[in-house]
Amino acid sequence: MNGLPEDVTSLTDVLAHWADQQPNARAYVFLKERGGEDASLTFGQLKAGANALAARIAERAQPGERAILLFQPGLDFIVAFFGCLQAGVIAVPLMVPRRTSARDSSAAILTDCTPRLLITNSALKESRPDVIERFRDAPFDCLLTDGTDDTQVAPGPACAIGRDDIAFLQYTSGSTSTPKGVMVSHGNLIDNLEMIRRGLGSTPESTHVGWIPLYHDMGLVLNALHSLYVGANCVLMAPSAFMQRPLSWLRAISDYRAVEAGAPNFAYDLCVNRFRQEHTRELDLSSWKVAYNAAEPVRADTLERFVTTFARYGFDRSALRPLYGLAEATLLVSVRRGAMAPVTRTVSRAALKRHQLSAPATDADRYSLVGCGHTVSGEKLAIVDPQTQRELGANYIGEIWVSGPNVAQGYWKNAGATRDTFQAVIEGRTGVWLRTGDLGFLDEDSELFVTGRIKDIIIIRGNNHYPQDIENTAHNSHPALRRDCGAAFAAANPNGSEMLVIVHEVERAQRHHLDVDEVLGAIREAVVNEHEIAVGEIVLVRPGTLPKTTSGKVQRNLTRVLWQKKDLDTQSDDADQRHTAGR
Amino acid sequence: MENLDAAELNIRRWCTDYLAETLKLPPSRIDPQTKFARLGMDSAMSVFFLVALEDWLGVELGSDVVFDHPTVAELARHVAGRFPQAAASAVGK
Repeated sequence: MNGLPEDVTSLTDVLAHWADQQPNARAYVFLKERGGEDASLTFGQLKAGANALAARIAERAQPGERAILLFQPGLDFIVAFFGCLQAGVIAVPLMVPRRTSARDSSAAILTDCTPRLLITNSALKESRPDVIERFRDAPFDCLLTDGTDDTQVAPGPACAIGRDDIAFLQYTSGSTSTPKGVMVSHGNLIDNLEMIRRGLGSTPESTHVGWIPLYHDMGLVLNALHSLYVGANCVLMAPSAFMQRPLSWLRAISDYRAVEAGAPNFAYDLCVNRFRQEHTRELDLSSWKVAYNAAEPVRADTLERFVTTFARYGFDRSALRPLYGLAEATLLVSVRRGAMAPVTRTVSRAALKRHQLSAPATDADRYSLVGCGHTVSGEKLAIVDPQTQRELGANYIGEIWVSGPNVAQGYWKNAGATRDTFQAVIEGRTGVWLRTGDLGFLDEDSELFVTGRIKDIIIIRGNNHYPQDIENTAHNSHPALRRDCGAAFAAANPNGSEMLVIVHEVERAQRHHLDVDEVLGAIREAVVNEHEIAVGEIVLVRPGTLPKTTSGKVQRNLTRVLWQKKDLDTQSDDADQRHTAGR
Repeated sequence: MENLDAAELNIRRWCTDYLAETLKLPPSRIDPQTKFARLGMDSAMSVFFLVALEDWLGVELGSDVVFDHPTVAELARHVAGRFPQAAASAVGK
């Protein structure tokens, strides 16, 4: 039982319910970088804050208009988000642009969603005047959550919210050329939050500790909104606090006797790599019952290392909950349920590369896949041959398709991409389906295993990056690089995580007097500044040698294969000065 | 030739060794005047770099220091100026 009234149609109803039932219980706590509490909000305070802000928003924007939410880590974001929901204004959470980014990576998103408001706070305005400067000539108003209006605004009548009204737009991070905003309706959100509650078995006692940025779908839905939905306390820390001291996350779980906490796979690796016995005195992880792992491929060896390192602090293997989801399905698609250790399956690595399942031929060929559990009731999942669009049986790898009330309405103002992604049809089955772009299979018990992806997205530390954006940045970084003649793709690092590889043609006229170091440096710098990724490897190739389709599009997959075989027609590469990131 | 004191040189040497190891480059290729971004350092790497430097020196530098002093040379000058004792006496890796 979720403890909520049956007529709940939006998250604002849920907030009203908890503010009424447990006004003085703490909804959110924000921790300081070096320990101690920075701020907190009870359910009652959040409701009052959201009410007051909703009135100020309603003065400036009509229901259905968009408001950009731009905040450094903290609780003001939460108040702003609920203020928007309550005013019926569509919230658009965005990352604060990096200081050194030359071209504003959020410009394309602003053009796409045409906001009426920018909502932020005075802390950001004062510490990052460059951000406000970027928006100075923009055709929208800036509203500070902690600012004061000239006249006191009385709360107007509550905005009537329907299930199909859009609650927020989730732009998948890093998209600069053709941003796509997933339209998540109030109904999608409520239905997926109920699925998450059932999937994780959460109650108002399920204290949660999270550090994932709130502009990221996982941080927003799975950390912040999920906790509020179940009426639990959510303890948040800044992402940078986790990156600096990963064990402080575990310390907070221990201190607050948290039941739920989760992160992308890399975070579990980081905790093990930074483990120091002297930093974990009196650490007690026995309260931690749900350690979900999502947004990146879940790795069996990571889970194993984590259990080995932290079992002595009371961490139980059965707490591990691999989870599969994506913003297009609001968040959750499937999760390992109940207190049982994750299911793994050992397959042939070589066959997996051909998208086939078979037993490993040799020890070196062994690869362990981790199951991501089952779908939660109300939702359907099918494995489909992406070419024929026919459904496949158990133990066949195909594209993961999803149908259910949690599948979003589509992409904002993009009918073409909405049709292609959200309205697929399977022969012999009813309804329309979401094509996830991910590959996987169901075993005989309907456990989902994710094995790869057909979409070209590059996933680094749980963030999605689009290759065309990176290729564009690389090309623009130096005049010696040919336009539309670069390929960016993901490849496995020696340590198993994903790294970015860029292969780029040089201009014919430049290739005999090329300053290779200069070009490589320019690409690295531009990619770091615009996309926040350290490039794993850069290869410069001779003009006209990058594989392309007859219509002139770069073939990224084929380029990757040639790169793996070392079959590229290299002008010069940085293999002698390889700089795979040390993490 | 620039005028560098022992503390500043000590920090430079440590930063160069750290970056060479992380970026898998020979230390001779880490130019102290090259911006960290140009070396391909993203924010996760700069956080790890900062934490390692703080641990080595036993001081707190604050998370903006790598942003505000974006080369080995500038960072070494800044840190040596703020913590001359720690910078001169820190040893090892």
